[in-house]
Amino acid sequence: MTLLLGATTIGLILALLALGVYLSFRIFNFPDITADGSITLGASVTATLLVHHWSPWLATVAGFLAGMMAGTTTGVLHTKFKINGLLSGILVMTALYSINLHIMSKSNVPLLNEISLATQIEHMGHAAFHAETDVNLFGWTVGVRDAAMLLGVLLLVAMVGLVLYLFFRTNLGTAMRATGDNPQMIRALGVSVDFILILGLALSNGLIALAGALLAQYQGFADVQMGIGMVVWGLASVIIGEALVGSHRIGLLITGAVMGSVLFRLLVAIALRWGLNPNDLKLITAAFVFVALIAPALLRKLKSAPKPGPA
Amino acid sequence: MLEISGITKTFNARSPNEVRALRGVSLRLETGSFLIIIGTNGSGKSTLLNAVAGTFIADTGSIKLAGKDITRWPEHQRAKLIGRVFQNPFSGTAPNMSIAENLALAARRGRPRGLGWALGHNLRSSLRDRIRALNMGLEDRLDNAIGSLSGGQRQALTLLMASWLKPELLLLDEHTAALDPRSADQVIRLTHQIIHGDKLTTLMVTHSMQQAVHLGDRIVMMHRGQVLYDLHGPERARVRPEDLLNRFEEVRHREQLDPTVAEILRRNYV
Repeated sequence: MTLLLGATTIGLILALLALGVYLSFRIFNFPDITADGSITLGASVTATLLVHHWSPWLATVAGFLAGMMAGTTTGVLHTKFKINGLLSGILVMTALYSINLHIMSKSNVPLLNEISLATQIEHMGHAAFHAETDVNLFGWTVGVRDAAMLLGVLLLVAMVGLVLYLFFRTNLGTAMRATGDNPQMIRALGVSVDFILILGLALSNGLIALAGALLAQYQGFADVQMGIGMVVWGLASVIIGEALVGSHRIGLLITGAVMGSVLFRLLVAIALRWGLNPNDLKLITAAFVFVALIAPALLRKLKSAPKPGPA
Repeated sequence: MLEISGITKTFNARSPNEVRALRGVSLRLETGSFLIIIGTNGSGKSTLLNAVAGTFIADTGSIKLAGKDITRWPEHQRAKLIGRVFQNPFSGTAPNMSIAENLALAARRGRPRGLGWALGHNLRSSLRDRIRALNMGLEDRLDNAIGSLSGGQRQALTLLMASWLKPELLLLDEHTAALDPRSADQVIRLTHQIIHGDKLTTLMVTHSMQQAVHLGDRIVMMHRGQVLYDLHGPERARVRPEDLLNRFEEVRHREQLDPTVAEILRRNYV
């Protein structure tokens, strides 16, 4: 049970990553690889500030803002300097590796003795459940820390998802969606496509860095390697989410990305439990995304292929 | 008022693929007038429209609209003054967004876009009324994705969007060329209705001599990046589709003559 709670919590945290990836890959159709660097950036900024005894909320917001700066950089490289989108992301991601090391001044910052959002949620959990170690949740006995963490993260992610949904219904938000849908049209309606793309990438990487900031606090450390392969991870969540909701409605797609992330994390947890070699995880994730990307076209081909007549 | 003075544009300059698309075009369009541009393929009529819209910046010359010099303005800034309908019915609308959202985007053309709701209650009811007036039965499908509509319906909506905030200049780039005859008819009727209703200053490119003769109050024929004829006043009033076709024939004859003349000159002098 603890395993499932933990996996769900991490899945919810990484749902923010999925939302960021959804924004860049799906709304703008922009393959933004910055994510691998910005998730670590969020973690390293927040962890370093926590070590310096900043308030956990402020440290988390700072992580989010750092991610926005990373996204802005990618956007500026692409729009103002006309560098290929994929390459812009790769450049910023590579630069971030050094920057993250500088921020943390080592490759790993432990947070076990710091006050973080995680410890605060744990305290609230103890107060709310009136229990020291275990609590009964729908008939299961689970650790107070695990239960409180799950509820806290769920609340936070639901809030972020709601804010994002509301944003997409504002004038600016609809302009952003239209920019990805038909740049020619939105330009003719007076919107600077460059500006909106930079703003969108900033928002996307802000969300991804927020995921990193929360992940570091949840697992109790920030590590310079933690971002490797995260783009593909987020993309896998988005694809699962789209399959789950099967709709183009923005609210459902946001919900789908969150559900996709949780489901994917649960599947991985179960697979690992059954003896999957953790070293194979990224290979399998990549293979999964590959299959999911080619499957729709393959299915169409099979459907439209002339059926062989009776011999 | 639109004032185009001596604009030129060369694509792929100093390369084997050099195209001198505009070779010094000057046009003056009074406020409220409706100018139709015709011309052969490659005559530069669409290029002229794109130059005004800001798809590219002209090499030389100047463009003034509503008292402002917009020669160096980027496209999205010019959109404050200009409404535009493209030839491709898919170009003017965002397919994955709803009819209502598309119109809401157009309702803020060239205005700042902040965190206010895109679809307020007032806007929703006023756009329902305007869409009902199209008589296409779309007023009950406001929340459907625009991608599910036909080309004619999308083009009618694009026209509505381009003119939602009365623009200083409306640009129509062969906006019925990709439609079936019935939809084209419908869109042309709507075009007439909107332009006359709002007295919009309009620049329209068309391939159809019928449209050229029946719409608009002035006809300009372009050839090889220049204005060849400019028909207005009584001359414009007398013109029939056949006359325009004859002028095309003339141009074609001259074209056919050119290579032979060049050949004779080459043989005699080279």
